Amino acid sequence: MSTDDPKESSVHTKSSLWGWVDSRLKLGSVRHLLLDEPIPGGASWVYVFGSITLFFFVLQLVTGILLTVYYAPTPDHAYDSVQYIEHQVTFGWFIRGLHHWGASAMVVAIGLHMLQVYLYGAYKPPRELMWMAGVALFLLVLMFAFTGYLLPWDQKAYWATQVGTNMIGTVPFVGDWLVKIARGGAELGALTLSRFFSLHALVFPWLTVGLIGLHLFILRRVGPAGPWDEARAKAVSEPFYPRQVFIDAVAILGAFFIVVAMAVWVPFPLADRADPAASDFVPLPEWYFLFYYEMLRFFKGPLLEPVGTVILPALFFALLFALPFIDRQKDRRPVKRPVALAAGAGFLVVVFLLLGVSLRRVWSVPTMPPEVAAGKTLYEKLQCSACHRIHGEGGSFGPNLSYVGTKHDREWLIRHFKNPQAVVPGSAMPPFDLDAPSLDALADYLLTLK
Amino acid sequence: MTPTRREFFSLLTGWIAAAIGATLAVPAVGYFIGPALKRKTPGWLNAGAIAGLSTDQPVQREVVAETVEGWYTTQSTKGVWVVKLSTGEIQVYNPHCTHLGCAYAWNPDAHQFQCPCHGGVYNLDGRVIAGPPPRPLDTLEYRVEGDTLEVKYEDYKSGTHDKTPL
Repeated sequence: MSTDDPKESSVHTKSSLWGWVDSRLKLGSVRHLLLDEPIPGGASWVYVFGSITLFFFVLQLVTGILLTVYYAPTPDHAYDSVQYIEHQVTFGWFIRGLHHWGASAMVVAIGLHMLQVYLYGAYKPPRELMWMAGVALFLLVLMFAFTGYLLPWDQKAYWATQVGTNMIGTVPFVGDWLVKIARGGAELGALTLSRFFSLHALVFPWLTVGLIGLHLFILRRVGPAGPWDEARAKAVSEPFYPRQVFIDAVAILGAFFIVVAMAVWVPFPLADRADPAASDFVPLPEWYFLFYYEMLRFFKGPLLEPVGTVILPALFFALLFALPFIDRQKDRRPVKRPVALAAGAGFLVVVFLLLGVSLRRVWSVPTMPPEVAAGKTLYEKLQCSACHRIHGEGGSFGPNLSYVGTKHDREWLIRHFKNPQAVVPGSAMPPFDLDAPSLDALADYLLTLK
Repeated sequence: MTPTRREFFSLLTGWIAAAIGATLAVPAVGYFIGPALKRKTPGWLNAGAIAGLSTDQPVQREVVAETVEGWYTTQSTKGVWVVKLSTGEIQVYNPHCTHLGCAYAWNPDAHQFQCPCHGGVYNLDGRVIAGPPPRPLDTLEYRVEGDTLEVKYEDYKSGTHDKTPL
């Protein structure tokens, strides 16, 4: 006796392949379960952000798996392997670009998704568990970002992670112990890189897949929330397929094209190879951590520092997790939730203000003291760059001057300009017979190279 | 027949999925197979002084080849066979038997190259005298720079009639 529902299977009788598979696997009911979920109030462009986030997760999986084909998670090869992917592998620059910008896109998508859910009060009963699984996914996205940043093993990666792991050390009482666990030892090194790789490429993806499963399972059990106006929500209902699926697909296509365009047109070259000895490199976090980085400037000193590094983030995530139990107001209409909306708006204002201040600081032209500027002009006029290289610019005949300011003092530099062979026997550099202010200015400039 | 509204949306959604899939699939395939298919061009390697060669007495000379595998550079030593024929011509042989790639050696008493694996035997100018090898010893390109012999080291597919570079 057959249990086939003729109505469900009849949709695809036109395709003989589908019919053949369907007659064996009874896919009609699965299809019904997956696609015919009713959406209260009907399909809408407002609901696309969850799907976009899921799409970007899949994109990160695909591009991430491809990167592992050539990436080597060891300090002696990580940088070379990423350079190899970027410059030599067919489409390597594109795959790496998609992964890099896809990460930013994922943070934007999950942020917008959470804002929409917050605005619509969709975390309220009976969807508390779905919200909590979502907050856990958000935490995972940030952990992905933090662990992934180290993997190219350039100066930026190394020093940003140095700072990031040091922050763990400010946790009261157990900080030192936690840093060691995060780094796999006292120092940031080979064991840090391999454990960050393992977390980034194996542990977090599987956790994320599991949590997404849970998130979607809960969605199917409780159903989507729909519009905040209950009357409107009840008035219309439309299945997920085909219109919402189509709307999601169009939104995903748009978001994908933005990331493709970024990967093609916005380069993000590697910094110099990680150098644990160059202790004066000032690292910057990814743009989505910049607001937090800016905020930390207000928390200095042994007492205040843990407030910024530990207590506020812990409180923030505790608040997010507990939100459905703190905001017990049943009504989902924004007009009835002034406190929740004011809190959300206040949070956004603070985040964007901090981000703006930080961006201004980062992008503002560094002011150069006049003597340093004069030295730089001399450096160009004397064509020092014909033989010397500074951060990738210039010849390689003479020594690289990128970090010369850390190696020599003013007195040494001036002696060397006047008579190189007296200071470095056998040097091929010609002597420069300059007046005292010029020698000083040139030294001033070189001393800033750190 | 005009499609129903449902079919229309399905079709468009399918096309979007296909567009995204293709944008990813083409680079992904190129990325995965690209480096694997890249041909390596061998460089000139120092195979020692030309003066040390005696006519009709093959010697094995070590050359140090730098192998670049993606981001990984290794140096490996290969022992090529160098023969100065009575005509004055020099021949440099790849050290692997053309049958299955075993290392053969010069037997001065028998005046033959002999392979220990399956009994392949070659004469001084590399021709097969006995055994299973399908083609003569693989000669390598060489040049003389001053007093130095330089060779281009390459390995070839074993067991075939034609000399095909790997």
